[in-house]
Amino acid sequence: MKNCYEPFPMHIERVVVETTDATLKSFELTFDRKEDCAEFFEKYNPGQFCQLSIFGKGEAPIGIASAAWEGNFVRFTVQKMGKFTSAIHAMRAGDPIGMRGPLGNGFPLGDWKGLHLLVIGGGCAFSTLYAMTKHILHPSHRAEYGEITALYGTRNSGLCLYKPVIEEWHNRDDMVVHQAIDVPEENWKYHVGFVPAVLEEIAPSPRNTVAVLCGPPAMTKFTLPVLTKLAFPPERIYTSLEKRMKCGVGHCGRCNIGHKYVCKDGPVFTLKELQELPNEI
Amino acid sequence: MPTKWISRKDLKKLPDQWLKQYDVYAPIQNGHELAFQLVKESAQIVWDVPSNPRYPAKSLFLPQSEVLMSYDGILHSVEKVERPKVLFGLHPCDARAIRLLDHALVDEQNPDEYWKSKRQSTIIVSTACISPDESCFCTAVGGSPFNTADSDALIVEVEDEFCVYVLTEKGGVLFSKLPDAEDAQREKVEKLTKKVEAGMPKAFPKKKLHDNLLASFETDFWKEVSQSCLGCGVCTFLCPSCFCFDIADETVRKERVRNWDSCMFRTYSLEASGHNPRPTKMERTRQRVMHKFVYWVDLVGEIGCTGCGRCVKYCPVNIDIRAIAQDALHREFEGMKK
Ligand SMILES: Cc1cc2nc3c(=O)[nH]c(=O)nc-3n(C[C@H](O)[C@H](O)[C@H](O)COP(=O)(O)OP(=O)(O)OC[C@H]3O[C@@H](n4cnc5c(N)ncnc54)[C@H](O)[C@@H]3O)c2cc1C
Ligand code: SF4
Ligand code: SF4
Ligand code: FES
Repeated sequence: MKNCYEPFPMHIERVVVETTDATLKSFELTFDRKEDCAEFFEKYNPGQFCQLSIFGKGEAPIGIASAAWEGNFVRFTVQKMGKFTSAIHAMRAGDPIGMRGPLGNGFPLGDWKGLHLLVIGGGCAFSTLYAMTKHILHPSHRAEYGEITALYGTRNSGLCLYKPVIEEWHNRDDMVVHQAIDVPEENWKYHVGFVPAVLEEIAPSPRNTVAVLCGPPAMTKFTLPVLTKLAFPPERIYTSLEKRMKCGVGHCGRCNIGHKYVCKDGPVFTLKELQELPNEI
Repeated sequence: MPTKWISRKDLKKLPDQWLKQYDVYAPIQNGHELAFQLVKESAQIVWDVPSNPRYPAKSLFLPQSEVLMSYDGILHSVEKVERPKVLFGLHPCDARAIRLLDHALVDEQNPDEYWKSKRQSTIIVSTACISPDESCFCTAVGGSPFNTADSDALIVEVEDEFCVYVLTEKGGVLFSKLPDAEDAQREKVEKLTKKVEAGMPKAFPKKKLHDNLLASFETDFWKEVSQSCLGCGVCTFLCPSCFCFDIADETVRKERVRNWDSCMFRTYSLEASGHNPRPTKMERTRQRVMHKFVYWVDLVGEIGCTGCGRCVKYCPVNIDIRAIAQDALHREFEGMKK
């Protein structure tokens, strides 16, 4: 029986404390069984998520933060919130864990070929954008896309994820990276201000461009109108929704909005699709 | 597919023959009420079921609590070989609900094997509902007390004899030895169908109801209709087409189980951040009704309520989904948005 509720047995290979306050950690998971690894990478598309599973603590949907070319592991960046996320934060390299996935649709990278990308992220929701950008920056994919502009905001510099890699991105000549923090800090070289304000300031052109936005609800709420003001049409604005989930495969009803199930039909939607759904986010 | 006939005396003996090969589930007396349960002998079966048993037959395919996996360091699927079953004596509305749930639980990519295996091993033999209860309204939502669409066989009682409509090959196996019905008998059934249907509510205008409800989304209509709701969840637990479930770990038993859940509960959509997209009973009642009359229609083209009447009958404060639909049909919502 192929059971869609049965997690793959995995092990934590590496834990990275991402932020100075240690509320965000990345976990790199490896597969106990070769066939699970093959099945995962056959399906994986950036923007998808997995249900991580710790028996006794249940499951939590977490976005995939690694690109397939990075190796036979899957990275997740988890913010400590409640029962499950606290339990995983207490785990170490070598500990066993379960994982179901990849789940959901992911970003329609095929449809974006030939277009410029504007990537806007904040908080832990940046993780799937990170995976997507890494995927696109790989030499075998880079030429398929136009210019890449990234805008990444965090409350302060200590909360910035994936610091070494973001540093490298600043030095690349095939992308432009704008980083922002909310309040000024000594030695900060980049923008100061909230993401919507910085976006207005850098005012990227909507011409042949797809905007992808993933962040905390408040950031998303105030950034969407700016994109609209910059003349990005709703069908070229993509965002990823977070809803409470259980099954992750469209069966349990939990993540329902209108006639969509966020776990199966999403989590990635265009603004146009969201505008057609009941206002219940 | 053939139409057969059988006398009352012979029909009552049939389940005993099925019992040699199948587990038979049928309405039997369970304390004060009827329930679809495993039958030991035909004599236990209640043949004249006046209204739908309170506890819905979906529980035979999606039990109220079901073990999905056991844990011994990793989680293992609990694989059960399903015995062949006959589910007998449910009304066509309940058979329709089971077919609707196939849409929810069986998709190509990730079929729910627990549901699927129970479905595949079961033959559904419905009985026509010749004296619908006053809470019944299947005809308003696209069904009929004589509906043949969703069963493997349908049995109709006419003048102390029974007409058996064999509807699938699966159903035919149970009735292969019976003689074919005569034309006169079929005519009697047709007459009876017309008579019973005539006494039942008219079909809701599906499109208008759908559009009106959508227009009502952000209005105070929902405050009004949900005012007395207690949030007890009875309406969804007893609903044959509600399927929401929770997944939970039973640490002492070392099992991961799924349990029925309800969108009428406050914590159902509450997130870790404290944000709740459906914070009050108004949004929750709206979700229950919209799911049945709008979202199901968008997804599969038919209303997701089968008109079985359970939520109407058992709501402790008499919230009536028929009345909500009627009300929504006769109001002007355009321009009412808050
Ligand atoms: C598609 C998707 C991707 C996500 N990606 C990430 C990520 O990359 N990193 C990250 O840190 N968090 C992510 N989240 C949010 C994360 O799932 C929740 O923070 C987590 O479930 C909280 O669980 P808890 O047990 O710690 O909290 P508790 O409050 O103890 O949660 C109890 C239960 O509520 C549910 N729940 C509560 N809040 C949420 C929520 N916001 N979203 C979904 N379910 C919730 C879960 O089912 C959980 O088991 C994502 C959510 C979704 C839907
Ligand atoms: S909504 Fe009420 S009447 Fe309709 S199928 Fe469910 S319980 Fe029956
Ligand atoms: S049965 Fe009645 S009171 Fe209970 S949740 Fe449903 S509508 Fe509310
Ligand atoms: S999480 Fe179960 S339907 Fe989406």
